[in-house]
Amino acid sequence: MSFYSTELGAMLVVIFIGFLPNEVWRVLGVLFGRRIDPGSAWMQWVQAVATALLAAVVARLLLVPSGALVALPLWLRVGAVGSGIAGFLILRRSVLAGVLVAEAVLVAGAWWLGVSP
Amino acid sequence: MNALPDSHPDDPARPARWFARGMRAAVSTPGLVLVATFIGFGGLLHDLGFPVLAGILSTLLVWALPAQVILVGGLAAGASLPALAVAVCLSGVRLLPMVVSLMPLMRGPRPRLLSELVCAHFVAVTLWAEGFRLLPKVALEGRPSYAVGLGCGLTALSMTGTAIGFYLTGALPGPLAVALLLLTPISFAILLVRNARQPVDWLAIGLGTAISPLVANSPGGLDLFWAGVGGGTLAFFIARYLPGRRA
Repeated sequence: MSFYSTELGAMLVVIFIGFLPNEVWRVLGVLFGRRIDPGSAWMQWVQAVATALLAAVVARLLLVPSGALVALPLWLRVGAVGSGIAGFLILRRSVLAGVLVAEAVLVAGAWWLGVSP
Repeated sequence: MNALPDSHPDDPARPARWFARGMRAAVSTPGLVLVATFIGFGGLLHDLGFPVLAGILSTLLVWALPAQVILVGGLAAGASLPALAVAVCLSGVRLLPMVVSLMPLMRGPRPRLLSELVCAHFVAVTLWAEGFRLLPKVALEGRPSYAVGLGCGLTALSMTGTAIGFYLTGALPGPLAVALLLLTPISFAILLVRNARQPVDWLAIGLGTAISPLVANSPGGLDLFWAGVGGGTLAFFIARYLPGRRA
């Protein structure tokens, strides 16, 4: 058992490993916002890293899933997200439509495969 | 503009009214999509065995779902705390340009540092998009209160969603529990596609996705770090120096 499996330990982790490293950017935005050029090469690099990081988070959630998603085959997980993106692009770039398409594909697939985790 | 008389200098109820209006504006389609993704996050917390109150606290304080997912996912995967702090920090970079671009609309007629910091805390992708839609219609002096009200409304809804997801996931039948857990990756994937405008964005999405499985289980839980920094840096240089690609 690690110390963050208790509420207090996890709260400390949330504050020091989650809140502070993340909030830095909002504070910097307020303090230096008028002096930072969003088009500078430095900011473009930082932005590319943030985008790649988020894509890696999605890939990890789909490839090495947790809990109930493990019961589904990889092609269904990836297919659901792929059809959600397609739904978003086709249906007037509506986030809600994309999410609903992905969920419909996933639930239909899980039901058809008879998954019961 | 200092000579401009305050229309209601001795009416203390005015900021409260703007705050309440902002809070009501939180109940909207983007707000409800946000709540759904936080229900998914609550389900993830339950699955990973993360304590529920700390998870709800992360919604209030971190208020950026990618950072929260990196944090709880990394803890469950056994990542070291310094590596996690770096990954969380890198994921938050996108908040800076959002704060910079939205702040002129949130600032109000008399900028105050504390009020700007409070406003900035609520900046995340939903408030950013909704802010651009709603704030121009709000009177200048009401904008800070309105923005904070909108942020508080969205945060309160999302904290409720986190709790609901946590307790719901154990009670749901198989296919629906699965649907709950898909909410996080699908909303992030759509977010990435929606925000991608230039070749460098698409390159970063492709490389981050491709590198992630290659570096899975790298020592010290640094896989997100390598996929993010490696993929992002590659994307940056390819987009910048490849001939014929001028974004």
